[in-house]
Amino acid sequence: MNALLALSRAIDGVTERIGRTVYWLVLAVVLISAANATIRKAFNYSSNAYLEIQWYLFSVIFLVGAGYVLLHNAHVRIDIISGRLSARAQNWIDVFGIVFFLFPMAFVIMKLSWPLFMDAYTRNEVSTNAGGLVVWPARLLVPIGFFLLIVQGISELIKRIGFLMGRAPNALAKAHGKTAEEELAEEIALQRARDEQGSRP
Amino acid sequence: MTAWLIANIAPLMFVTLVITLLIGFPVAFSLAAVGIFWAIVGIELGLLQPTLIQALPDRVWGVMSNDTLLCVPFFTFMGLILERSGMAEDLLDTIGQLFGPLRGGLAYAVIFVGALLAATTGVVAASVISMGLISLPIMLRYGYDRRLAAGVIAASGTLAQIIPPSLVLIIMADQLGKSVGDMYAGAFIPGIILAFLYAAYTMGVTIFKPQWAPALPLEARSLREPNGKSGIVSVGVLVALSAAAAVAYGKIYLKDSPLDETIVISTCVGTAVAFVAAVINKVLKLGLLSRIAERATFVMIPPLALIFLVLGTIFLGVATPTEGGAMGATGALIMALARGRLTWKLLRQAMDTTAKLSTFVVFILIGARVFSLTFYGVNGHVWVEHLLTSLPGGQLGFLIVVNILIFVLAFFLDFFELSFIVVPLIGPVAEKLGIDLIWFGVLLGVNMQTSFMHPPFGFALFYLRSVAPAKQYLDKLTNKLTDPVTTGQIYWGAVPFVLIQIVMIGLVILFPQMVMVYKSTDSTVDPSKVQIQLPPSESGAPAGGSQPGQPETTQQMEEDDKRGNEDAQSLEDAFKSTPAPAPGVPPPPK
Repeated sequence: MNALLALSRAIDGVTERIGRTVYWLVLAVVLISAANATIRKAFNYSSNAYLEIQWYLFSVIFLVGAGYVLLHNAHVRIDIISGRLSARAQNWIDVFGIVFFLFPMAFVIMKLSWPLFMDAYTRNEVSTNAGGLVVWPARLLVPIGFFLLIVQGISELIKRIGFLMGRAPNALAKAHGKTAEEELAEEIALQRARDEQGSRP
Repeated sequence: MTAWLIANIAPLMFVTLVITLLIGFPVAFSLAAVGIFWAIVGIELGLLQPTLIQALPDRVWGVMSNDTLLCVPFFTFMGLILERSGMAEDLLDTIGQLFGPLRGGLAYAVIFVGALLAATTGVVAASVISMGLISLPIMLRYGYDRRLAAGVIAASGTLAQIIPPSLVLIIMADQLGKSVGDMYAGAFIPGIILAFLYAAYTMGVTIFKPQWAPALPLEARSLREPNGKSGIVSVGVLVALSAAAAVAYGKIYLKDSPLDETIVISTCVGTAVAFVAAVINKVLKLGLLSRIAERATFVMIPPLALIFLVLGTIFLGVATPTEGGAMGATGALIMALARGRLTWKLLRQAMDTTAKLSTFVVFILIGARVFSLTFYGVNGHVWVEHLLTSLPGGQLGFLIVVNILIFVLAFFLDFFELSFIVVPLIGPVAEKLGIDLIWFGVLLGVNMQTSFMHPPFGFALFYLRSVAPAKQYLDKLTNKLTDPVTTGQIYWGAVPFVLIQIVMIGLVILFPQMVMVYKSTDSTVDPSKVQIQLPPSESGAPAGGSQPGQPETTQQMEEDDKRGNEDAQSLEDAFKSTPAPAPGVPPPPK
C-alpha cells in the first residue's frame, strides 16, 4: 500500500504540473482570438489557421487538463444524496464510479480515437478549410487526454482505497484553501476597511 | 426477456441514467458510461449496428471543433478578471449616492448596477458578494427592511443569468442549434423587463411600507457640492442632454438602420456627449457639472465601454459572440491593468478557475453527446417526443409542463446539467409543436435563473449568506449596535422575487413578441462570420467509422441528432452557422 500511495503522490505531482502549464493557454487563446478579430476588421486579413488554432488550444485545455480537474475534484457531481452520506460511503461511491464508470468509458474512447489519429498522421491530413492546420495533433489530443484521465483515475482510486483502509487522509474532504468566492469577499472587505480609514481622520 | 428489453430499452436507459447520476459520481463520466454500457447491450441484442460505437470519437471531435464553446472560457475569464477590477465597487458606491436620496433608492441602485454588471458578463457569485459587502451594510445602517435588502441583492445578482452575454444563453443556443446572436437579441428585452419588475416591486414596497426602504439622510450623502447642495439638477441636465443627442442622432442619421444597430450607435453617441462634457468640465475646472454628475459619468464609462465591446459589436454584426467574448476579456484585462488591480496571482487564479470550469462544462457536454448517441440510436427521442406530444393543451400545455419540470429539476441540477441533458430531449419536441426555439430558449433561461434564488439551495442566497453579517456588530460610522441578517430573512426576502420570476415566465409565454424582436435584427450577427467554420470532413474515419447516411459534417450531424431528419430545417441551420461562401470575404455592406 505504501508503494501505491507513493505512486499516487507521484501521479498527483505530474498532473498538477501539467494543469498549471496548460491553464496558461487560456490567456493565449483569449489574446489570439482578440488579435485575430481586430486584425480581421482593421486590415481585412484573416486566415483559417488562426481560427483553428483557437479550438486546438482550447481542446488542449480541456482534454489534457481533464486529469487536473479530476485531481481537484472539480468535475460536477449531483450531491443531494451523497452529500448527506458518511465520508466512508462517499469514498466507496468513488471507488465504484472510478472502476465501473470512469475507467471503461475513458478506455473505450481512448482506444477508439487512436486509429483516427494514426490515420490522420500517416496520411498527413490537412484541414479542409483553406489555409487550415494539420489535423493529427488535434486527433492525438483525444487519446492523450483520456489516457491522462485514466492515470489520474488510478491515483484517485489509490487514495480512496487508502482512506478506506485507514492509511491515507480523506481526499474528498480536503479543503483546497479558500474558494475563489471567499477570496473575492476578503479582498473587497479589505478594500472597504482601507477606504473607511482613509476617509476619516 | 429479450423482447421486453428491446421494447423498453429507451425508458430503461433513462432510468439507469437517473440512478447513476443520483449516486453522486461526476456527471460527465456517469453520462458517458451509461451511454457506452447501453450501446454494448444494444449491439448484443442486435438492436444497434456494431458501427455505432465507432462514431464515439466523432462525438468528441464534434465538441472539440465547435467554436461556439470558446465563449465559455472567454466569458468566464472576463468575468473573473472584472470582478477583481474594482469596477463593481465604484459603481455601487456612486450609483448608491446618486439614487440614495430617493425612497428605496439604494434598492434601485442595486438593481441598476446588477443589470449593468450582468450586461458586462456578470458572474452571479461576484455580483452578489460585491453587493452584499458594499450595499447591504449601508442599507442596514439606514434602516432598510432586512428581507427586502437581502431579496433585492440576491435577485439582482441573478440578472447575470438572463441578460446577455450570459453563458446560459450561449449554451442554450448551442443545444437548440440556433445562433447565439439571435438568442442574445431575443433575451435582451425580457432581461430588461425583469429588472423593471424588480424595481416596480421595490416601488410598491416604498408606497405601502415606506419605513422598509427609507431615503438616505443628508449626512450620508458624501458627494455633495461644497455649498451643501445635492447637485442632482446637474445630473438631470446632463442626462437630458445626452439623451437628446442620442435620440437626435438616431432620428437623423440612422433612420433606415435596424433597431438594434440604432440603439447601439445612439447609446454610444449619448455616452460620448456625457463623457466629453465631464472631461472638459474636469480639465478646465469649469464647475458647470456637480461632483456627483461628473463622478457618475466617469464610473459609468468602463462598464458601458465593455458592454459596447462585447454586446455592441455582436449586435452590430461586427463580431461573432466568440470574438466578442475574446475582445471583452482583453478589455477587462486592460482595464484591470489600468486600475492597478492586475497581479500575477489574480491572473493565475483567473486562468486556473477558467480552465477548470471550461473543462468540467465541456466534459458534461462530451458525456451527454456520448449518451445521446446511444439514446437516439434506440429511438429514445421518439419515446420522449411521444410522452410530451401526448400532453393535453398543445403548445401551451407543453410549455407549462416543461416549465414546471425545469423549475422542479432546477432544485437539484445546475444549469449546465439541465442544458446538456434535458434541453436536447425537449428542444426537438418544442420545434415539432411549432414553438420558436429562441423564444423557448429564453423562456427556459428565465426559468433556470430562478434556480439561483429559490430557498434553500439557491446559489445567490448561499453567497449572500456567506457575506451578510451573521452576528450582531458595531457599525463603525454610527457607533450603533446592528442586528445580524438571519438566514430566515434571506430566504423570505427571496420569495417575492421568485414569484416575480414566475410572473415573468408567464409574461414571456403570453407575449412572445418581446423575444421575437430578434427576427427584426436578422441582418446582424451571422453574415459577419467570415470564415468557413466547417470542421474537417469525416473522411479520415477508419473503415466502418461512418454510419450509413451520415451527413458530411459534424455540424450537420449534430443538427440531425436534434431533430430527426427534417432536412430542410437542418440545411437552414447549417447554413445559418456556416453562411460564408469563402474565407477572407468581408461582411456584406449594410
